[in-house]
Amino acid sequence: MSIEDIKEFSYHIGWRNRGRHPGRHASTQRGMGMEFIGHTSLLNYPDPRRIDLRQTLRDPLEQVYVRLFNQKSATPVFVICDLSGSMNFGAKERKIRKAADIAESVARSATRNADPFGFVGFDDVVREDWISTSSFKSHRAIELAERLKEYHPQHVSGAGVSDVWRFLPRERSLVFMISDFHMPMSQLEESLSNLTRHHIVPVVLWDADEYKNLPEFGITAVTDPESGQKRTLFLRKGYRDKIVKSFESRREEIYKLFMQFDMPPFYVEGDFDADMLTEYFHQFVAA
Amino acid sequence: MAFSHPWLLWLLPLALLPLVFQRAHSKNYSWLEMLPADPLSDLVGLILKALAVLTLLFIVLGLSAPHTNQQEIERIGVGAQIALVLDRSASMDDPFSGTGSVAETKSGAAARLITQFVQSRKNDMLGMITFSNSAMYVLPLTENKDTMVAAVRATAGNALFQTNIGSGLTSGAGLFEKVPDSGSRAVILLSDGAGRIGSDAQQKIRDWYDRMHISLYWIVLRQPGGLSIFDKTYKPDPDKALPAEIELYEFFKTMKTPFNAYEAEDPKSLQLAIEDINRKEKKPIKYLEKIPGKDLSNLCFILAACMIALLLGVKYVEVKTWH
Repeated sequence: MSIEDIKEFSYHIGWRNRGRHPGRHASTQRGMGMEFIGHTSLLNYPDPRRIDLRQTLRDPLEQVYVRLFNQKSATPVFVICDLSGSMNFGAKERKIRKAADIAESVARSATRNADPFGFVGFDDVVREDWISTSSFKSHRAIELAERLKEYHPQHVSGAGVSDVWRFLPRERSLVFMISDFHMPMSQLEESLSNLTRHHIVPVVLWDADEYKNLPEFGITAVTDPESGQKRTLFLRKGYRDKIVKSFESRREEIYKLFMQFDMPPFYVEGDFDADMLTEYFHQFVAA
Repeated sequence: MAFSHPWLLWLLPLALLPLVFQRAHSKNYSWLEMLPADPLSDLVGLILKALAVLTLLFIVLGLSAPHTNQQEIERIGVGAQIALVLDRSASMDDPFSGTGSVAETKSGAAARLITQFVQSRKNDMLGMITFSNSAMYVLPLTENKDTMVAAVRATAGNALFQTNIGSGLTSGAGLFEKVPDSGSRAVILLSDGAGRIGSDAQQKIRDWYDRMHISLYWIVLRQPGGLSIFDKTYKPDPDKALPAEIELYEFFKTMKTPFNAYEAEDPKSLQLAIEDINRKEKKPIKYLEKIPGKDLSNLCFILAACMIALLLGVKYVEVKTWH
């Protein structure tokens, strides 16, 4: 896929970052911006270009005032991606492939917004060979995402999610967390509480073949890609309904958990549509 | 229970293979914990495993050919233990006296009448020896009428060579050796003419028949115009040896056990002789019947086939459209 084919989405953040690097997001950094925040004397902020003549004339003490503005800054954007065994699932398209597509889209959109982009992959541990450090040039990250499309996750769990926060910067960043979130609730909760510093967008990858599109009737054997555990399933209507119900209650459960951390989840089931992500930011993030 | 090839049982651990190896065509699922517990599915899984194990088990068992042991059942019948000693010498193919223009051979007439005799005796144990140059072991003492009739019919074929009565008689006595004495034992010697018996063999026959309490019935099938053993007027030629028949008759008369001789000139007199024997030999007898063991390997294979059929059935309802 050439870079031009990657579909972008537009995003914004609802907080002021503190980055010095000029960008497009509201910032607390003084600089050459448009956002007026007040006056100070020329001695405090010796920038004669910003002398406010009107304020200077009005001052009986005859001090020279300059206007202060906040610049717009770049915000680091990260994708943390689940590389555990369950991401290998997928009838038409493996989840890991879909995750790579989303990561590419995020990387491309970040570049378009002049934001640095970084990628962190984890399975049982945080995979240092699947890390792309934060950079304003997204080529490396896109190249990594291309490699990710052909990657077949090993039979490992996603326990590394608890350690991901160590690999993110101290400053608040926009983090897309791509996973199917097939992990114990306690583990998810623990890792989320370590990530509250950042603006997390949970991207929940589910596949309709996991529960809705199960075969009508039949016997099959299934293997858990992470634990290697095997089970025989006798699929029939009653049991199918139970499985669908189990997934629905799980969806409810993780939705509740994410909302506790004020991180509304973004569900991807079927094809990834970048416009839906734009919609997501309009809906949930105050401009 | 026994096995024809017990060493094949060493393969039995192979039956556990389905437990060791998982099903190869198992499908990947993202997270099993999302699937609610389902006892029926678990049961089906267990049954499939069990079927696979049992299939292999029965195949191995079938290969090792199990069978039940032969059994011996004691039965009580009324009748006698009778050994038939039939002459199969070439002269038995000669026509029998007393018949009409179409001559019946002596062996044919003997076979026909003995068949009737066998069928009229319900609870006898009958054995059979034929002899010509030497004795031929045909049938041990048995209660099975069908085998006996078949054996008698088989003797009606072409005859062989000469007459060795001594060998036939000793073999006939040998039939009684491993059978418990019922108190009524008889050897029916059916021959035409006679052969000579050496003095050693004479002594042996006398001893054996005495020890085993065997009475002897001798039916002589006489050729038309032949010499009769009951001929009182016969004067032996002092210069020559006695004719074989007379000599044999004299020897039989010296035996300690009961002896009867009948001379049959035609089928009717033969029948009379046999009826006479029929009357005399009737006492309760006790004997062991052998029941052969049953072969169970086919049963094993059938069971294995049924299970394979079941597994194939499961294959048919297996999900093919998923993943």
